[in-house]
Amino acid sequence: APIEIKFSHVVAENTPKGKMATKFKELVEQRLSGKVVVKVFPNAQLFGDDKVLEAMLLGDVQLAAPALSKIKKYNKQVQVFDLPFLFDDMAAIDRFQQGPEGKKLLKSLEKRGLVGLGYLHNGFKQLSASSPLKVPGDAKGKKFRIMASDVLVEQFRAVSANPVKKPFAEVFTLLQTKAIDGQENTWSNMYSKKFYEVQPYITESNHGVLDYVVLSSKEFWLSLPADIRPTVEKALQEAIVYGNQVALAKDQEDKQAIIASKRSQVVTLTPEERQQWVDAMKPVWKKFEVELGKDLIQAAISANQGK
Amino acid sequence: MTTVALFTLLFLFMLLGMPVAVALGLSSVLTILFFSDVSLATIALKLFESTSHHYTLLAIPFFILSSGFLSTGGVARRLIDFALAGIGHIRGGLAMASVLACMLFAAVSGSSPATVAAIGSIVIAGMVRAGYPEKFAAGVIANAGTLGILIPPSIVMLVYAAATEVSAAKMFMAGLIPGLLMGGILLVAIYIVARIKKLPAQTFPGFKQLTISAIKATGGLFLIVIVLGAIYGGIASPTEAAAVAAIYAFLIAVFGYRDIGPLKNCPWRNPDESIIKAIARNCWQMALALPKSVVDVEVKKVVLEAAKVSVMLLFIIANAMLFAYVLTNEQIPHAIAQTIVEWGLPAWGFLIVVNILLLIAGNFMEPSAILLIMAPILFPIAIQLGIDPIHLGIIMVVNMEIGMLTPPVGLNLFVTAGITKQSMGWVIKAALPWLMLLLGFLILITYIPSISLFLPEYIDKLQGY
Amino acid sequence: MFQWLNKLEVAILCLLLVSMTLLVFIEVVMRFGFNQGLIWAEEATLYLGAWLVLFGASYGVKTGAHIGVDAFVKTLPSLYQRLVALLTIALCLVYCGLFIYGGWIYLSKLKMIGLEMEDLPIPKWQATSILVIGFILLAIRFIQAAIQLIKGETNTLQFANEAKESMSLAKEGSKD
Ligand code: NA
Ligand code: NA
Repeated sequence: APIEIKFSHVVAENTPKGKMATKFKELVEQRLSGKVVVKVFPNAQLFGDDKVLEAMLLGDVQLAAPALSKIKKYNKQVQVFDLPFLFDDMAAIDRFQQGPEGKKLLKSLEKRGLVGLGYLHNGFKQLSASSPLKVPGDAKGKKFRIMASDVLVEQFRAVSANPVKKPFAEVFTLLQTKAIDGQENTWSNMYSKKFYEVQPYITESNHGVLDYVVLSSKEFWLSLPADIRPTVEKALQEAIVYGNQVALAKDQEDKQAIIASKRSQVVTLTPEERQQWVDAMKPVWKKFEVELGKDLIQAAISANQGK
Repeated sequence: MTTVALFTLLFLFMLLGMPVAVALGLSSVLTILFFSDVSLATIALKLFESTSHHYTLLAIPFFILSSGFLSTGGVARRLIDFALAGIGHIRGGLAMASVLACMLFAAVSGSSPATVAAIGSIVIAGMVRAGYPEKFAAGVIANAGTLGILIPPSIVMLVYAAATEVSAAKMFMAGLIPGLLMGGILLVAIYIVARIKKLPAQTFPGFKQLTISAIKATGGLFLIVIVLGAIYGGIASPTEAAAVAAIYAFLIAVFGYRDIGPLKNCPWRNPDESIIKAIARNCWQMALALPKSVVDVEVKKVVLEAAKVSVMLLFIIANAMLFAYVLTNEQIPHAIAQTIVEWGLPAWGFLIVVNILLLIAGNFMEPSAILLIMAPILFPIAIQLGIDPIHLGIIMVVNMEIGMLTPPVGLNLFVTAGITKQSMGWVIKAALPWLMLLLGFLILITYIPSISLFLPEYIDKLQGY
Repeated sequence: MFQWLNKLEVAILCLLLVSMTLLVFIEVVMRFGFNQGLIWAEEATLYLGAWLVLFGASYGVKTGAHIGVDAFVKTLPSLYQRLVALLTIALCLVYCGLFIYGGWIYLSKLKMIGLEMEDLPIPKWQATSILVIGFILLAIRFIQAAIQLIKGETNTLQFANEAKESMSLAKEGSKD
């Protein structure tokens, strides 16, 4: 019987991640026809983001691509990606992820039985709220929805805002009724989840990264026959490159769609205003220096230099 | 083959009288064991995920707890008194007041059988005493009780929201107009029957009595404001509103109406007591009663009863999710969706298929289980055909209402049989004519989407800008 | 002794439901009244819910709270009713056994990887342990039901339906 690869993810098929998974399926089944079968399960049909990795370790899911913050319990160092204003642009993120420190992070997951196969972009996070956020003072006392991460808690506390944790399914209603004032997300997430309809102001802050990591279990990955594994890996890398292209294009596309909808106004920051945000949030780096490692943070900073 | 095994095992186990939850779970595990290579550990993981990762579903125990305090705490009785004072004087007014009471109770409770039980146990006997045929009374209440899941809050809607990740708040909003409409249809039908059959009317008690009964019912009516107000007023999500409702229902039952708990038979004001003295006495009595209610037998009984019913429901839901997992793992919904898409049905044709499927399923299964199994199959096709997921949700809920009244598994039939001490056959016949109204209503809901979608879209527009 | 255990079981069940309700309520009050979020509350509530369901399932067997369809079984002669009930309980025990086995492997794996819960500093395997505990308790209750059947104290599984549950609530309500 052919080897079966179950790829379980939590987003729709037409998102960058969904398209990457479909691309991977096409490439593998074309090149390893009859030897490997790929089944893609979108929309958290099989497992949610929390349990998918456990199911992977039990050998019943072979590929997944959770958000980086979802694997912080496997290695807390991945929270480095949550640090505010760490990366200047997408190219810097690429340099860091492809560099020695980025690869080491992927490798480090093997202690917990997982193999990190690559990073997948989603985009930079923007800040949205029920009132315009120009300077850090505008965020004071406001409630922001965050994903579970100590770094993000500190990030919002740094501007005297109150982080609130709520399940994704309830966020829309809570934003709509202003039970929560704001949230941070990529353009494409805000567009696909319709947050822009209930958040009249989006500040183009590019303050943080929201990327995914493609994972398999060590046990499964090493069990792949020597004549098959390189082909699968190559197909995966190609799919990731494709997925990243789609993600970058989609990010801009969705930004334009949000602007065109006129339901949300995009707030652009002057360099001085942006610097105020940087100054307010940068002390967070210091707080996590010990936990994440000085070298790691330094490596991320130097990725901005383009060396 | 896998599908056949799965459903055969399920029906076989149900036939043996196995608890529905175990029947769902066992048929799933055995199917996986024989036809797939998923490990038992992952099955256990999946069951744990089903009990521990659905925040929306937690509203179920909270709404059940609040229903418990409302039913035992005399709220249902006061709602009936109020409805009766309002329209009891119209011909057939007692029956209409009963429907109105069902609607009011539906607006605070999330379950249909609970609505029938709370209202029916009081009003059916009352109608018979007032000269109504018992069959008429039982049929009306069994049907009006189904509004419990259509008028928000609604347990069935929460399950749909959890299965498809649409907003529970939007589902609630969407159910309001259809719920009022169905209530209205019942009221009109009763009025017509009352005219033809010359059913009795009561004398109007006067506006003073009406006002008094309204004030007495305020405690219960206010819960509607709390639940819907909290959700749409920007205080809480549906799950949180349910918890707030539970706390409020406890307070109103124990400290407000004092029908249960440590303050039972302890009046707000004794005869000849001065206001100041009464306030002072109430203050220290209530301060003492709060710790006392923790160990109070009646309060504990309500909590335990609610815990029991919640566990029973959530355990079925968890096992039904496992059942849905087996279907998904074998990509069965995918295959069925593919087949239906290949038929090339237009949206209206697809909706006919949906209704037939759901009506059949409604005969045999519990609503939550049906939704969990069917929603993942139907949802993606509906999206492809351009059917609004909220509209699909309301169609499913109305189908579930009908399922409550169809044998062999119809919860409202069971409850009504229990209240009237009549046979199932008798209850089925009593409910049948009113069931026809519900079927007509289903067609209306299916083909006029704006009945369901008008309100949520309107609210979106209001708050979006 | 058994009396004491029964009381403890009921107390734990009530405590789980009440603490869930209060936790969510307090979260709302904190957010709306004091503009503060309780970061760990969501996860705590979710796990309390899981404990409520998995711990309470066995109590449901004891008190006959689980819905079953007994229309067919009731048409059988009494001896066959008992045989069918015994067969059903045997199948229910298979169900428990499979989950105890699968749950055990799952817990061992969680313990081996050494994961913690997302927001609370509690090892995940401990928070998940109710999976195995709950199914062991469930199995015990099914065995007790089987013993009652063999002794001839009952003829059928005394699984009620939701109707009866709602009825008992309703009777309380209409007493006064
Ligand atoms: Na309701
Ligand atoms: Na039915």
